[in-house]
Amino acid sequence: MNLNLFSKEMRSNAFSMILWMVIISFLVAFTMSVFPTFLENQSKVMGMMSLVPKGALQFKGISDVADLASALGFYAINNVIYMMVLGSVFSIVLSCNILLKEEYGKTAEYLLTRPLTRNNIFFTKLAVVILCIFLLNLVTALAGFISLKIVQKEAFPVSAFLVLSVYTFLLNLLFAALGLFMSTLVKRPRPITTFGIALVLVFYFLFTISKITENASQIGYLSPFKYVRTDVLNKSYGLGSWHLLYFSGLSLVLITIAYRLYRRKDIYT
Amino acid sequence: MIITKLDFYWVYSKYIHNKAIKFNCMSHPVIDISHLTKYYGKTRGIENVDLQVHEGEIFGFIGPNGAGKSTTIRLLLNLIFPGSGSARIMGMDVIRETKKIKNFVGYVPSDANAYSSMKVGYFLRYCMRFYDFKQDEERLTELSEWFELDLDRKITELSMGNRKKVSIIQSLLHRPKLLIVDEPTTGLDPLMQSQFFELLRSENRKGMSVFFSSHILSEVQLLCKRVAIIKDGKIVQLEDIETLRKKQLKKVHIEFSNPEDKANFSIPGAENMIPRMDNILSFMYSGDISELISRIAPGKITDLTIEEPSLEEIFMHYYQ
Repeated sequence: MNLNLFSKEMRSNAFSMILWMVIISFLVAFTMSVFPTFLENQSKVMGMMSLVPKGALQFKGISDVADLASALGFYAINNVIYMMVLGSVFSIVLSCNILLKEEYGKTAEYLLTRPLTRNNIFFTKLAVVILCIFLLNLVTALAGFISLKIVQKEAFPVSAFLVLSVYTFLLNLLFAALGLFMSTLVKRPRPITTFGIALVLVFYFLFTISKITENASQIGYLSPFKYVRTDVLNKSYGLGSWHLLYFSGLSLVLITIAYRLYRRKDIYT
Repeated sequence: MIITKLDFYWVYSKYIHNKAIKFNCMSHPVIDISHLTKYYGKTRGIENVDLQVHEGEIFGFIGPNGAGKSTTIRLLLNLIFPGSGSARIMGMDVIRETKKIKNFVGYVPSDANAYSSMKVGYFLRYCMRFYDFKQDEERLTELSEWFELDLDRKITELSMGNRKKVSIIQSLLHRPKLLIVDEPTTGLDPLMQSQFFELLRSENRKGMSVFFSSHILSEVQLLCKRVAIIKDGKIVQLEDIETLRKKQLKKVHIEFSNPEDKANFSIPGAENMIPRMDNILSFMYSGDISELISRIAPGKITDLTIEEPSLEEIFMHYYQ
């Protein structure tokens, strides 16, 4: 790893990272601020929800309406949209660009002519991606935790909150690995940001579609969102070893392939 | 004077660095390319290129656009990988020992795009920090003053010429033993071009070798001792610049007032005569210019142009 490159990359990504932190934290806090009002009108809202078709509720990420009555349940349902989807968009945008921007930005000729190996460059940039995603998750989870503490009527299980945060982090990391992998496949230098964002949204769409009808339930297994457990109020809720293996194993495989491709990649500007 | 531990390491690392270069340069050419071939899919990049550049040499590498100059340079810098063949810099393999090599090599890319959001000074210091030396502010000041470059401006605000200056300075900051330049004068005004050439000569006198790639024959002739001409991915000629100079051609274009004068005109050394209209004659001339003028003088002419032929025309002349 090269510290000079690391600090330059952290600097150049700091602004967008902070912007994403602020936006996601604000959305989480804002949504949680609605919770007390929701509780006050719980019976009315629940009555209205009973009229909504189950599929539509599932589409919104609500598997059990009763979950909404708990602060953590309410947080988990909304967390999927903000922290998981938006966090994954941030992760894939960051990782798609971190290597590729040197090519389409025509700076590769400066970076790759320094006394660095491709390994140095790859792992330094990977470290930047991981750190940025970690910091984003840390700050947004803190915003979520503080919001929960403020709006809670009764204590919520912190361990479940932590497990949900770990799932979010692992999901974001998987999308980062996917972005890195895709960027090493690109032959001619051009940004693939739009493609990356579209991929996250398609996976999320597949996941939600799979929850609406039984017929489409198998499609969900194609999406990484399917492997995130959000049933925080379930007594058996925890970090399943299969889930952990799925996220870390797939991420590791994608990163390893990306690394091997990048080592032998022809760099054009 | 207090010598700190850091100073000691710096002096020691410079000693080791110089010793390593001396050792490598004594026993190997600075650049040694052997049967180097690169194809982009089915498209030819370069084919079987063999080339040696000696220590302390300013070596010219000329050819028209698309001839394979940049491909050769990219292979030397390990930006791309060869299909076959090998290349060594200072005796070190350009793929396996690329990191070591790049401690001693500077590179001026043809496209002068740096990190546009950075300030010039920040970018140049960032470049310096990649090397094993202590930050050399003296060197930075010396080079920026040479090129009259403001370090506090943002790169994005700079003109093309000033960006080129940034590109040149970054390549020289670590006092490389070999400088590879790819079309370095694009965007530089004539005064800056001559400043740059002067700097190259001065660094060359201190021991820096230069691999100078260009499609402009005149600037290669001005600087280099030897030159390789690349065409369609192959080295078609590798010769001393003096030999090339002796072969120097001029492209002559005469517009006679009287078509009869044109019909009677002849001169030894004129080749590829192309009659255009009744009174216009174009040809390639290698010989004494005063002889040419004296042959033209008896007739009446309305226009005379004597210019340097393009590389393409030289290729046509010599290698057809």
